[in-house]
Formats: sequence, C-alpha cells, structure tokens
Amino acid sequence: MIEIENLRKVYDNKYEALKSINLTINNSELVCLLGPSGCGKTTILNIIAGLLDPTSGDIKFDGKSIIGMHPKDRDIGLVFQNYALYPHMSVIDNIMFPLVVGSNKLPKAEAKKRAQEYMKITKIESLEDKKPGTMSGGQQQRVAITRALVQNPKILLLDEPLSNLDARLRLQIREEIRSLVKRINITTIFVTHDQEEALSISDRIVLMDQGIVQQFDRPQNLYLEPANLFVAKFMGNPIINTFEMLKQDNTLVSQDFSLDLKKFDKDRFKCDLDGDKFIVGIRPEYFVLSHTPLFKTKVTVKELIGKDCILNFEVNNQAAKIIVDTNSNIEEGQELAISVEYENIYLFNLEGKRIY
Amino acid sequence: MNRFKYSAENAPKAWFFLIPALAIIIIFNVVPLIRTFYMSFYRGSLTNPQFNDIQNYITVLTDTKFHTAIKNTSIYAFVVVPVALALSLLIAITIHEKIKYKDFFETIFFIPYLTSMIAVGVVFRFLLNGDYGIVNFVLGLIGIGPIDFLNNPSMAITTIIIFGVWSGLAFNIIILLSGIKSINTDYYKVADMFGATKVEQFRKITLPQLIPIITFLLTVNFISSFKVYTQVFAIFNGKAGIADSATTAVFYIYNKFYVQNRYGEGMAAALILFVLILLFTMVQRMIMKKVAQR
Repeated sequence: MIEIENLRKVYDNKYEALKSINLTINNSELVCLLGPSGCGKTTILNIIAGLLDPTSGDIKFDGKSIIGMHPKDRDIGLVFQNYALYPHMSVIDNIMFPLVVGSNKLPKAEAKKRAQEYMKITKIESLEDKKPGTMSGGQQQRVAITRALVQNPKILLLDEPLSNLDARLRLQIREEIRSLVKRINITTIFVTHDQEEALSISDRIVLMDQGIVQQFDRPQNLYLEPANLFVAKFMGNPIINTFEMLKQDNTLVSQDFSLDLKKFDKDRFKCDLDGDKFIVGIRPEYFVLSHTPLFKTKVTVKELIGKDCILNFEVNNQAAKIIVDTNSNIEEGQELAISVEYENIYLFNLEGKRIY
Repeated sequence: MNRFKYSAENAPKAWFFLIPALAIIIIFNVVPLIRTFYMSFYRGSLTNPQFNDIQNYITVLTDTKFHTAIKNTSIYAFVVVPVALALSLLIAITIHEKIKYKDFFETIFFIPYLTSMIAVGVVFRFLLNGDYGIVNFVLGLIGIGPIDFLNNPSMAITTIIIFGVWSGLAFNIIILLSGIKSINTDYYKVADMFGATKVEQFRKITLPQLIPIITFLLTVNFISSFKVYTQVFAIFNGKAGIADSATTAVFYIYNKFYVQNRYGEGMAAALILFVLILLFTMVQRMIMKKVAQR
C-alpha cells in the first residue's frame, strides 16, 4: 500500500507544483495520475521514484516512510517517457543491466536467465540481440517495461508511456500494459494527460490540476459524477457545454432558454441553491433533438467522428455542441430543435463547486 | 529528356557552385601532393632535376638519422596520445560532475589552446630549467632531482612528451566535455535507480557513448603527433634537442629540404611519413569500428 500524506513541493524558482497531496493506493491497483500539463502529476511520480525531494509531507510504502531513501532501495521500477534504453547495448544487455550493477549484482549467467524469463512474460524473446535504434516504438516500450520489471519491484511507475506511439499502436499497447500488470499483480502508477487512456486502463484515476487533487475515484465516477467544474470540463470529449444562468423563483433563465428547477431530481442536490447565478453543465450527448424543444437554433459546423457526429451551434451567443447519430443525416445550416435530459444536468456555483 | 529538367536527387548545377572550392583544393592540396611524389624520384636542384629512380628512398630508409627520427616520433605519439586522452577524460568528467563554476573552468582549460605554442614553450623553458625552474624546486622538496630536462640528451624525449601531453589537453577536454554534455541525462537517472555505481555508470554508459568522439580524437591526435614539430622547436629553442636527441620525422624532412638542400630525399621522407600515417589511421579506424560494434 502506498500512502501519500500532505505532500508539498516547491521548486527552486518558487513555483508550487504540489499543494498538500493526500492519496492512498492499494496493493496491485492500477492508478492513473491524470491532468493537464503542469498540474504536478509527473512531480508526484518523480518524488515517489526518488528523483525529486518533497518540500514537506511523507510517502509510505506498507507503512514505512521512503523519503530520504535512495531510489534503488525503494523497490520500484520506473519507465521513462522516452524509455531511456541504452542505444549501445542489445535488448538482452539492456534488460540485464539492473541485475549486473550495484551491490546485489548477480553472476552473468544467472542474470541472463532471469532476463530471458521476463522477456518471455512480456513476449519479446525474439528481440534479444537487437539494438534499440532498430526497433519500433512499441517494441522499445516493451523492452523498457521489461527492464523495469526484471528486479521484481513491488511498484511499477510509468511516465507517459504511450505518448511516443502512434494512435493505433497506443490502443494495443495500453491493453497489453493492463493485462501484463494485472497478470503479475504489481501496483502500478501511470502518468498521462490523455483522458481516454486513463479511463480505459485504470482501476482508479487521480485527476489533478494546479497541484491539487481534484478527484480521486473510479473512472466511471469521474465521468458521471464530477466533483467540480474542472473535472466536468476535463473529462469527456467533446468538452461539456457550460452556461451561466440566473435563478428566478423556480427556474434558471438565460437569454435563449430556461430550465425548470421542479424537474430536477431533489435527491441529487448536494446542498441548497444559495445565490442567484449558477453554471449549468450539459454534456453534448445529453442534449436531445425533440419536438418539444427548449430552444431552436441552426447547425454551424458538422464534424463526423464515425457512428456519431458532432453538430456545432450557437445558443446564448456562445458556441455549443450536440452529439447525434450519423444516420440522422442532419446537414450544416439545418434548423435544430433541442431539449435536454434533466437527469443528466450538472449545476455548479460560480467557484466551480458541484451543487447538482 | 530535357537536360535542365528539375530532379530532386541529381543536380548537375551543383558542380558550378563547387568549382571555386574545388579549384583551391586542387591547386593547394592535390597538386603539391603529386608534386611531392614526383620530386621524390629526382635529385639535384629544383631548377635542374635529374631522375634518380628509387635511390632517394633507399638513402632515406637506410639513414640511421631517419631511424632515430621515426623512433622518436613513434615513442612520442604512442605515449602522448593515450596519456593525454586519459588525462583529458578524467579532467572533463571531473569538471562536468564535481565542479561548481563549470563555465569558468572550461575557459581556463581552453586558454592553452588559444595561446601560441612558441610563447608557451618559452614559459616551459623557465619552468623546467635545471637551476631556477619551479618544477625542479618542487621535485627538490620531495627529494627528487634536480633533473636537467633541457640539456641532458637522454631526457629530451621525456621533456617533449611532458610538453606534448600538456599542450594536447585543452582541445581534448573541450571536445570530450561537449560529448559528455550531449549524453541523455535520463540514462544516468535510470542507472541510478537500478543502483549502478558511478564507476559502473562510467564504464557502461559514458565510455560507450563517447566512442565516436574518442575515435575522432584518437585519429586527429595521432596524426598531429606523427607530425610533431612545433612542440620540439618551442621547447628546445629552435633545435631538435641537444645533439639532435629529440629529432622527429618532420625535423628530418625540414633539415633535408632547407638545411642540406637535398629536395628529393626530403620529399621521399615526407612520402614515407605520409604512407605510415595513412596506414596507421586505417588500422586504427578498423580497430575502433570493432570496439564500437561490441
């Protein structure tokens, strides 16, 4: 179990990368650190790995603090974003490297046997004598992971492991990574800025922004039950539509449409509606074409993405999107009559806190 | 097909732009080389040459002075190059890893390269002087010497080796430093993480990564060592040491040409030196290629 307590990091240039992070990660869990650039996700990984020192706070592995320990004594395997394979060594030498250096080095024959065992697990036996420069990105990736695993660490750390791969390979490798770490049952922390990657392979996701954990939850909850406006905006593609609306008696009004608060599910309110201005979040997939519309508008741009297509339109003088079935055959310039699924609306106050 | 049609991979127009450079190379590099080869088969004055067959080569190859020159040159090259390179590597890594004001020390170590060899030679003459030199003073403190670096014929080679190593450091250090800096720092982070010691990191990462640069330095260092002249000239006051004890191949060629006016023999010696350097460089390249592949 990894416990991160009140972790704070201020860089030499006074930039506060992490502001009091608290996380508990269970054994053999696959956790993703997700967030935009500069949110502090890689900083956390580097502090766990021992490449950076925290300014304050503590990290414990199974109850034992690892702050101040040399990286080699932390029982971790780290895969860098660029893999950092040694270009002058063959694959087998790269994988043997952790076993033939340092204070616990093995005899060469034994190290080779062990390396080959792990190469079998990650299915790269055929690459044994190749040099990294002659291999594809996906192959290099697998070699880097094998090298990180060969010392049989308790924790595997992956820093944006898929960002150097092309789109199709990424889909394949992320499934391979998940099935591999689940097979050998290793606790894995995975850094990414790609929500789809995070949603598809993680057991739980830490969504970060500006050095703060915005939400630490199962992938599905991040999407369906965002804790605040940032989470709602970050998760989901295309991005959620947000409208500033005024509360007048039992309705929320804006220039082009209004929502009836009586139709909202009372059980879903997290707190009372204080104040008069609110931000309403409606995902593009929860707008619906309807005969009893809330408002009417025209399609400005149509983007086809396969089974569905995204229709851009304007409402309240701002751009918004709706997702419809491609088969509906709506073209640019056509009129849309749009309604909303009330059970899938989110309400936030002006600070971004979720109310409904 | 139209001759002026555009082709991305074959542009005859390029020759037009190459003409100035090629002309200079041909006049100043290729012609002199052919001329040297031609002259090595003739004797007599420059204006009235007589064909001499391979007699010049026989004369040079059987000349004991030439043997001494080649021997001195070889000792110089085979000691100076490895020692200077090893020392430079040590200093470069120390500067890179341990020293705070890196830029300052880089500059300090590069200054000798900018200084005239003759000026440095004069300073070294002072430093190495048997009577009042600081080197002998320091050696005296630890009970060695005094050593007569400059006037003892049997010390002559040692003296130019010391001077040669010193004068080779600056260039090597700068090149090695830039090589070390260009190595991906993640390699060391990974190695650290796996618990590799500094020595292991040097042996398994730094050294293999520097192979191309070391190959380059070995090649240029050996070539310039085989052609050593200035160092000897500077430290022995324009002579090849006491009683020609430190004569080198280039000194020999110079003497033949300008002192004895035996142009043909001088050219023959120059050509022999050229072939020796060429063969050595080729062998060295082959060895370094093997090393790099391993």
